Amino acid sequence: MDILNLLLQGVSVSILPANLLSCIIGVLIGTLVGVLPGIDTVSAIALLLPFSYGMDSTAALIMFAGIYYGSKYGGSTTSILLNVPGEAASVVTCLDGYPMGQKGRAGAALAISAIGSFIAGTIGLIGLTLLAPPLAQAALAFGPPEYFSLSLVGLILLSKLTGTSTLKSALMAVIGIMLSTIGLDSLSGISRFTFGIDELDRGFDLSIIAMGLFGIGEILTAMTHADAKPDIPSVKFRDLYPTKEEWQRSITPMFRGGIVGFLVGLLPGPAATISSFISYGLEKRYSKHPEEFGHGAIEGVAGPEAANNSAISATMIPLLSLGLPFCGATAILLSGFMIHGITPGPSLITERPELFWGLIASMYIGNVLLLIINLPLIGVFVQLLKTPLNFLMPLVAVVTLTGAYSINNSMFDLIWVIFFGILGFLLQRAGFEPSPLIIGLVLGPELERGLTQGLIICNGNIWTFITRPLAATILSLGFIVILYNFVTWFTKFNNKRKELDANRS
Amino acid sequence: MENKAIPATSKYPDKPITLIVPYGVGGGTDLVARLLEKRALEYLGQPLVIVNKPGGAGTIGWNEVAGSSDGYTLGMTGVEIILQPLYGQTKYHYLTALDPLAQIAELSIVMVVQDTQPWKDLDELIRYAKKHPGEIKFGHGGMGTTGHVAGEMLAKSADIRLEQVPFQGSAEATASLLGGHIQVLFTNPASVKEHVKNGTVRILAVASEHRLKDPVFANAPTFREQGLDVVCSNWHVIAAPKDLPVEVKNKLVKGFEAIINDPEFQKNIEKLGFEFSYLGPKESQEKWLTENQKLSKTVQETGILDKIKAQKK
Repeated sequence: MDILNLLLQGVSVSILPANLLSCIIGVLIGTLVGVLPGIDTVSAIALLLPFSYGMDSTAALIMFAGIYYGSKYGGSTTSILLNVPGEAASVVTCLDGYPMGQKGRAGAALAISAIGSFIAGTIGLIGLTLLAPPLAQAALAFGPPEYFSLSLVGLILLSKLTGTSTLKSALMAVIGIMLSTIGLDSLSGISRFTFGIDELDRGFDLSIIAMGLFGIGEILTAMTHADAKPDIPSVKFRDLYPTKEEWQRSITPMFRGGIVGFLVGLLPGPAATISSFISYGLEKRYSKHPEEFGHGAIEGVAGPEAANNSAISATMIPLLSLGLPFCGATAILLSGFMIHGITPGPSLITERPELFWGLIASMYIGNVLLLIINLPLIGVFVQLLKTPLNFLMPLVAVVTLTGAYSINNSMFDLIWVIFFGILGFLLQRAGFEPSPLIIGLVLGPELERGLTQGLIICNGNIWTFITRPLAATILSLGFIVILYNFVTWFTKFNNKRKELDANRS
Repeated sequence: MENKAIPATSKYPDKPITLIVPYGVGGGTDLVARLLEKRALEYLGQPLVIVNKPGGAGTIGWNEVAGSSDGYTLGMTGVEIILQPLYGQTKYHYLTALDPLAQIAELSIVMVVQDTQPWKDLDELIRYAKKHPGEIKFGHGGMGTTGHVAGEMLAKSADIRLEQVPFQGSAEATASLLGGHIQVLFTNPASVKEHVKNGTVRILAVASEHRLKDPVFANAPTFREQGLDVVCSNWHVIAAPKDLPVEVKNKLVKGFEAIINDPEFQKNIEKLGFEFSYLGPKESQEKWLTENQKLSKTVQETGILDKIKAQKK
């Protein structure tokens, strides 16, 4: 009851006109940041920081947090409509969201994505409200050997998300890991595989590769059917929203995604992106019709979009209760806090309860606001698809390239977006799916870092990894899944052989 | 940026001045630059335009500053302008290619342990390390950064063996300390302040010349006080390309001096967890030179240079 009281006090803080207004401004900017590819949360908050000095600190923090969680709502929009991920965390939404759009179900995909975001965002917030300090402590038990184990198991389980050939998927994942090693090594500070080109030191930004492989790749594909008219059937108002069947198929993935996202969000790393991939993998595994995945399965939109939103709520836990930002966006939030004289940490809840609970209450309100903002926008966004392709595609190219340039203000990056665009186009033609490459790119650095740091911590003895209880549990889970896959593959193979033998005789 | 035209000094500045931040948006350096931006129009007569040019541990951005000479391209610098040329070939020797205009703040390094560790002070830790060489692991925010240099300096001057564990930034390193995965952490005061206040983390020493002003850290002795020569800090300095016309340079120096010494600016710098410390161009230049001498000796003696060179091969 105590927490409920505190939360109610928080609500009374967050509905003060100034705070409510900041919340609205924050989520509006967040939505915009999410929709526009290339503009990320970090830059948006950094640009607004200097303007926030005059604001009351609670109002300013409510606004910054609004930008942060708001951006994950809009991220799916361009994924679904144009195959251009608006945020790294929405890359996976391209896989099924875009095919849904092509079938005339863009409205449903957008609606499910918004509602899923709302449900999961709220699940995450409930976790944040009830369990923040104990969960933050529990997450600290994960050290480098555990991160290594998680990334390893993740890579093995997730690399075959799409496509039919395990070999092709594994190859793409390995290329992704190789690409992730280019540039300045985050631990040693040594530049690797850069051929002395300074600009390569930065490494490949995930967004650059994703925009190229998916966005530009799709434009090139569209160009090869130059005469194609958008075959989007004129959408009636009723068709904008999900059917009953789509609803039923989405509800479990939303909750599952919400829980997965929340757990991943507690750990360091790009939680929103990783959790969306994990959720996609889970949904495909549990689905009764896994063959639909990659061709417009609604679960493939509902799960990941839910996961990345609850991951956002969860990343606030280490930030608020330990003062530790585990990703770029929470790091800039921390700066925003500090510039207003507030240092998050173990004593924040007791020292500034009105601020802590006001912020959390505002996040509940912000999530409702985002739902109200996003649902009517769907009708507007879907209209965009009526644009003839010969106008739409050049426009998409301009938006994508502008976004890519703005990440590092670098012409060099533009060359790479186009390079990866051509690569994506060719891969698609050759039957290779680009998504395992993205997974390799995201998990590769985590894997490498965990291994290097883990080995130093364990005095160079790799066997310590399987004597640490947490790491051992994770690794053995991975092992069991691989064994299970192998056994099913072998029985299938055996049955087939028997069948063939039977046919022959 | 091959514009080599000498500006008409009397009218300078007649267009916005670009301030290059050689790191990404939202980092510490970027935030300091954005604090400057806020008051620029008032004191410099023209707005400052912040341009982020991340990559190459800062060298991409500094190369651009060093290659310009029109007086409209300035850059934010840190101790890396000294360390990077030591670690390997850079396009310019920044100490001679750049001219400091003003130092804004210092970033000290503190040495902390988890409160559950048995060592109550630095002395006890050193005695333990002598008996158990290599057993204590210290974390820092990246190879060759000030945290790493400070840790190696301690190992060298106390004649003990500490294993270093590089992390990606101070947040991950702090999490690993709090989770008990490493025993010691060398980091900036701001990232552990709340934990020191809360008692979960104990501070053993400060790697600067004087004790820190912040009341949370004021009781913590420096390494010097404890008889060890470990002094290592980072700083934020605004720099211009060498050989700007004197009038242009003077205008910039005066403008930045006024912005930096504005009490509100000072307060905001301290809120971000930096120690406010204004130095004019001459003092900054002197500091660069002494730091360069000291650091080139340190990275050689502690073996950091060998380690980095070995990996570069």
